[in-house]
Amino acid sequence: MDTANTETEILMSDIGMKFNSGPDEVTALTSVSLDIKKGEFVSLVGPSGCGKTTLLRIIADLLNPTSGTINIGGESTKQARLDGKYGMVFQSPVLYEWRNVVKNIELPLEIMGVPKNERLERAEEMLEMVGLKDFGNSYPGQLSGGMQQRVGIARALVIQPEILLMDEPFSALDEFTRERLHEDLLNIWRRTNKTIVFVTHNISESVFLSDKICVLSPHPGRLSAVVDVDFERPRLMDIKSTPEYTSKVFEVRSSFEGV
Amino acid sequence: MNKKQKNMSWQSLSSIIYPAIFGIVVFVMWQGGLLNILLHTDTNTLPSPSRINSIIMDNQAKIFLNLKATVIVALVGLLFGSLIGYGIAIVAAQYRKWGAGGITLASAFNAVPIVALAPVMNNLTKHISSSVDFRSMLAKTLVVMIVCIAGMSVNAYRGLTELKPFSEDLMKTYAAGNFTVFKKLLLPNSIPYVFTALRISLPGSIISALVTEYFSEKVIGIGRQIRENIVTAQFATAWAYIIISCLLGIVLYVLLLLVESVVMKNRNRK
Repeated sequence: MDTANTETEILMSDIGMKFNSGPDEVTALTSVSLDIKKGEFVSLVGPSGCGKTTLLRIIADLLNPTSGTINIGGESTKQARLDGKYGMVFQSPVLYEWRNVVKNIELPLEIMGVPKNERLERAEEMLEMVGLKDFGNSYPGQLSGGMQQRVGIARALVIQPEILLMDEPFSALDEFTRERLHEDLLNIWRRTNKTIVFVTHNISESVFLSDKICVLSPHPGRLSAVVDVDFERPRLMDIKSTPEYTSKVFEVRSSFEGV
Repeated sequence: MNKKQKNMSWQSLSSIIYPAIFGIVVFVMWQGGLLNILLHTDTNTLPSPSRINSIIMDNQAKIFLNLKATVIVALVGLLFGSLIGYGIAIVAAQYRKWGAGGITLASAFNAVPIVALAPVMNNLTKHISSSVDFRSMLAKTLVVMIVCIAGMSVNAYRGLTELKPFSEDLMKTYAAGNFTVFKKLLLPNSIPYVFTALRISLPGSIISALVTEYFSEKVIGIGRQIRENIVTAQFATAWAYIIISCLLGIVLYVLLLLVESVVMKNRNRK
């Protein structure tokens, strides 16, 4: 595995997050410290209410933590967001139904003021990468859920972000589609060398994909374990039938507290 | 599957055929005089379709003049009323805390009857110009405008605030400014709602144009002609204007549906 890259990309120390104040106060996260290396595939795993999505949204600068510090390659999350360092993939594909597939992928480039020709070129390149070369002129309503999420991934990657943030991107898909997308995502990751932070509640999914699994436990949300996964890459579906895989899944499962 | 498709096409066909049959039956009964017997009316108060048609043919120039006046009032009022309504929705969506309440208040305007608005507007515009034509045109247009504001502001507000989950987050990750968010997300998202509003306000604008003409200073417009001819017991001519007003409503509505189907073509692709 990559030993070359040990530079820290995301550094969090003592992150805490509280929602509301007074009697309605809810503690979503307490003292999360974590560092994520450049090019690493890291999963945030946990049951609902553990704050995994909150943590991802803090990284994305969609939320400000109430305590602790976080920096992205030495700069603030806000600066990183303004610099276009983040590509974000959400639980639903969030495609704009009035734009065809190519136009949806071009959207972030339009906002950044990239010239028309270059936009099209880059969007088509991304379409090819996610395996939807012939669907550029289709509209979101004409695509299956899996294809829509592929478009979402292409749109996140088209701005060439350093970090890909994925919030349960495959949770709404059927098992077969999800497995295809796992393999494709790993291929894309290998080719683009992004840092990926992947939120999921599916333990097996996190074991198959990640270098490192951060296990979050609820009430209050906290980091209860960090499990390294050192299966050989590239990984194929076969590893799921090995005893090592099963014991890794079990190891992650048993590190949850209070569930 | 095939049977289902057959059912579907029969359903869409029957939704045209049944009303058409009904219309033809009524027409035949009307032309044949049966309708007069059933309704206990003479042919003076309810003249036959052929008689009404010949009146329309004989008075084309005059009818056109009145039609034009009504169409201008209805469409200009609709345009500006809708623009103002959309503007209100933008402001309300920007300041949502009191925005939703403000929208409810705006929709209360819809409860003010046209009959009450028309004299008020006549009074307000009394000194605005020395030209009777302009004055009464303005007063009528203002009434139509007010009638169209509420529908647009209520619907456009929904179009600007009911967004798919995460679509605003997506814009935020791209560090998009307010105007960009409006142009790329809110405006296109609100288009279907704008058409919903127009489908309500277009007929509304024609009806209010017709009614407000009753009260206007200048004697012009289809609505006014219906009234004038009834007052002078020229029922056949009144009927001619009633038919024209129906046709106007239908034609403009069909045009709106055509525009909508073109604009929404891509969105609805499944």
